[in-house]
Amino acid sequence: MICIESESLAKSFGKFKAVNNLSFSIEENKITGLVGRNGAGKTTLLKLLAGYLLPSSGEVRVFGQTPFNNLHVAANLIFIDDQLELPDNLNLGETLAAIGQFYANWRAELARGLLDYFSLQPQQYYANLSKGMKSSLKMIIGIAARCPLTIFDEPTVGMDVAVRKDFYRALLKDFMQYPRTIIFSSHLLSEIEELLDDLLLIKAGEKYLHLPLDELKGYAVGFTGQASIINKMITPEQILYQRQLGKDSIYLVARNTFNQEILQQARLQGVEISPVATDDLSIYLTAQHKGGIDNVFSRT
Amino acid sequence: MLLNPDSLKPIYMQIAEWLELEILRGSIASDEKIYSQYQLAEMFNINPATAAKGLSMLVEENLLYKKRGLGMFVAPQAKERIRTKRINESLQQLVLEVVAEAGRLHVPREELVRMIEMAEQSFAEGE
Repeated sequence: MICIESESLAKSFGKFKAVNNLSFSIEENKITGLVGRNGAGKTTLLKLLAGYLLPSSGEVRVFGQTPFNNLHVAANLIFIDDQLELPDNLNLGETLAAIGQFYANWRAELARGLLDYFSLQPQQYYANLSKGMKSSLKMIIGIAARCPLTIFDEPTVGMDVAVRKDFYRALLKDFMQYPRTIIFSSHLLSEIEELLDDLLLIKAGEKYLHLPLDELKGYAVGFTGQASIINKMITPEQILYQRQLGKDSIYLVARNTFNQEILQQARLQGVEISPVATDDLSIYLTAQHKGGIDNVFSRT
Repeated sequence: MLLNPDSLKPIYMQIAEWLELEILRGSIASDEKIYSQYQLAEMFNINPATAAKGLSMLVEENLLYKKRGLGMFVAPQAKERIRTKRINESLQQLVLEVVAEAGRLHVPREELVRMIEMAEQSFAEGE
């Protein structure tokens, strides 16, 4: 079953196209990671899915319906981001109780248990929480709501690494008990990659890649060694990133279209072949310039 | 064991290899039930679909078999077949790389054999 479908979706703010010609579909009960650089259009896309924004053109359907101004979609979806406002005049216990009334699948005990685990007191007030604790509370709400479509936009801002890891595990465990469609936007791809089914990578408002995470691992390979040997194996279109090392050596990342024999031969000629960490790969794929920041300095 | 995020191998393959090691070490015998996709997801903190893919890889190689409603079990002779497969694939590959590196460093054959013997000794002591 398809949960989300978008067709030539676009959203402009004045002359700026935040989301441009985006077509994709997301299957039900999968965890999809949304990545892209700052300003790539991630949040705009998520707001279009949640029905907070009206598309400038194109179409988006959630549970088969247009999300904008749609009660069915709103009732079955939760959108967690750092702009989510929570009341100042209710304590955390009361806040959770109030929110729970809006969501059919709300798990009050789970919310309480997580609150306790993350050292939040029901008597505390939201306004007095630290940044990381505010994020924790929102993440608790996002998990306990058990919405058929759960959207997290940078939910871990301000959390320390131990808390983030606990949350990833909490999300995974609850997902196994109660599968649902989850979209998770994050800059920390390496931290969340093991949770994901699929990855959606956007660049300048457009879809750049949408693939199962397994395929991302083999998407590119890194070569370190003599430039003359490496360049013979690679066509310019395959190059994703390149850096000079020493006099005639390079480190080069290329789109992986190589079979085992070619890689083996390169290895035997002294070229070192290495996997490319997913974090680095997503940087290379979304970069505007192949040389990266070094380009700025080489011009002077 | 923790998964190696820097490996070129997708996570499901790392899971399949870990299961192979478990069978090879004898911790799960033939016709014994192997971990379910949810147990693996819990253990390694991974998406259950990824874990399922690792399991089905071993089913395709006939190292595991399914029993309807009961789960997956280790095939007879799985241990021996994994051993043969690993010799033909990973061990030969490693030997090839050792020989290539020895060639680049101009290490003569006798010296290389001597090094292997020494390695065997320290391995035996470590056991």
